[in-house]
Amino acid sequence: MFKNLYNYRELLKSNVKKEIRGKYKGSFLGILWSFVNPLLQVLVYAIIFPIILKSPEPNYVVFLIIGILPWTWFTTSLSQGTYTILGNAGIIKKVYFPREILPISVVTSGLINYLISCLIIFAFLLFSGIGFSGYLVYLPLVILVQYVITLGIVFITSAINVYIRDAEYIINFIVNMLFYATPILYSPDVFAHTKFSALIQLNPLATIINSYRDILYHQTLPDLKMLLLVLVTGLVILLVGIRVFRKLERGFAEEV
Amino acid sequence: MAKQDIAIDVQNMTKSFKVFYDKPSTLKERLVFWNKKKSESRKVLDHINLQIKKGETVALIGTNGSGKSTLLKLMTKIIYPTKGKILTNGKLTSLLELGAGFHPDFTGRENIYFNASIFGLTKKEIEKRMDDIISFSELEEFIDNPIRTYSSGMYMRLAFSVAINVDAEILLIDEILAVGDQHFQDKCFAKLQELKNSDKTIVIVSHALESIKQLCNRAIWIYNGEVKMDGATEEVVEEYIKVCG
Repeated sequence: MFKNLYNYRELLKSNVKKEIRGKYKGSFLGILWSFVNPLLQVLVYAIIFPIILKSPEPNYVVFLIIGILPWTWFTTSLSQGTYTILGNAGIIKKVYFPREILPISVVTSGLINYLISCLIIFAFLLFSGIGFSGYLVYLPLVILVQYVITLGIVFITSAINVYIRDAEYIINFIVNMLFYATPILYSPDVFAHTKFSALIQLNPLATIINSYRDILYHQTLPDLKMLLLVLVTGLVILLVGIRVFRKLERGFAEEV
Repeated sequence: MAKQDIAIDVQNMTKSFKVFYDKPSTLKERLVFWNKKKSESRKVLDHINLQIKKGETVALIGTNGSGKSTLLKLMTKIIYPTKGKILTNGKLTSLLELGAGFHPDFTGRENIYFNASIFGLTKKEIEKRMDDIISFSELEEFIDNPIRTYSSGMYMRLAFSVAINVDAEILLIDEILAVGDQHFQDKCFAKLQELKNSDKTIVIVSHALESIKQLCNRAIWIYNGEVKMDGATEEVVEEYIKVCG
C-alpha cells in the first residue's frame, strides 16, 4: 500500500492543492475565506459568551482562537472527508488510483490550512502580551496526534458513507454535540467537580484542545501521559480505519 | 508460454452485479425494508479465461451489454472480480473516459497536471511530456485559459493528448477512437499505430470494425458474458458480422 501511495505522490500533491484552492475558486476573497470564516466565528462567541459566562478567562479572544482553529480543522476534515468518496464518484468510476489518496488529501489540506492559521494565533499571542514559551516544542506533537486521529476517523466515515448515506447527517449531529462536550468555549475547570468531568476525560479531542491551550495560553507542560494515550488511541483508530477502508473500497465504483 | 511474456492474464474469472429494484441506500430504507429481498445477482461475465501477450493489439467486440466494457474495467482494477483472478504485468493506463479529474476553473496546463497525476505520473515525468502533450492537442493558444472556455472538441483533444502520452506498457481503450474532427482522428489513429509498433500492449473496445481490422491482429468476441470466438481479427469480425450484422 505505501509503495503504491508513493508512486502516486504527485496525485496526492495536486489533489491537496485542488482541495485548498478549488474550494473557494471564483469567490472574491478566495482562499482567505478559510481564515476569515473561523475568525468571524470567534468574533460571535467573543461577543456572546462573556455575557453568558459570569467570569470568562482573561484574554478570552486568544483563549477562543487557540481552541477554535484546530476544531475547525477537525470538523471541516470530517465533513468534507466523509463526503469525499461520493463527491469524487466521477473519477472513481473511470480511473484506477489508490483510493486512500482522497481522504488523505482532505485531512492534509486541513492540516496545511491550520498551519497557516497558526500565524494568526501567533499574532494574537504577541499582541495580547501573552508571548511565547519554550513549551512550543511540544506543538508539533499535538498536531501529529490530531492528524493521526482525524485521518483514522475519516478513513472509516468516508468508506461507510458510500454504503449508508445517512452517515453524513449522523456525523454532523455528533460533531455538533461534540463541540459543546469539548472545552473550546470554556475551560475544563468548569466541570471540575461534577459527574461530567470523567466523561470529558474520555473525549480525545478534549485532551488535544487542552494541550494546545497548555502550550500556547497557559504556557505550561501539556499532560504528556494523556497525550500519548490519545496518540496510541489514534494509531489504533488509524489501523482499524485503513482495514475498513481497504475492505470497503473494492465496492466503491459499483456503489457510488 | 513464459510468464513474463504475458501482459494480462484472466483466470477463470466471473463477475456478477447485484441488480437492485429499489436500492436501499439510507438507513431508514435499510431498517424498514430489511426483510425484503430487493436485489438479484446477474452474471455479466462467466468463467472467462484469457491470456494477452506483451506487444499484442487486441480488440474486444460484441453487441451492447455483452460485457466488454465490464471486462475492461476489471482489467484496470476499478471493479473487482466476484470469482477468479486477473493478473496484469506492467504499467497500465486505461482510457475509459477522457478528462478524468478535469476541473473547469483551472487552466488547460493545470488540468494536464491533474489528469496526468491521476495516471500515476510524477511531476518530473509530467514536465518532460508537457510540450508533447500540448503540441499533440494543437491547443497552444488556449492552454493557459480555464477549460470551461473550451469547446467540447477542444476538451476532448486535450484529454486524449494527455492519455495517449502517458507512456504506459498496457493501454486499455474504450470507444474513444472518434475524437475531434477528421484531421485529429487521423492523427490519433496514426499515434495508435505508432504505439502498436513500439511493442505496447493495447486492448480496444470498439464498434468501428474497419478501424479494428487495420489496427488489431487479434479479436475476441464476447457474447452474453462468454468468449464466443478468439482469433485473427479478419475471421472473427467476418463471423461477427454474419451473426450479428
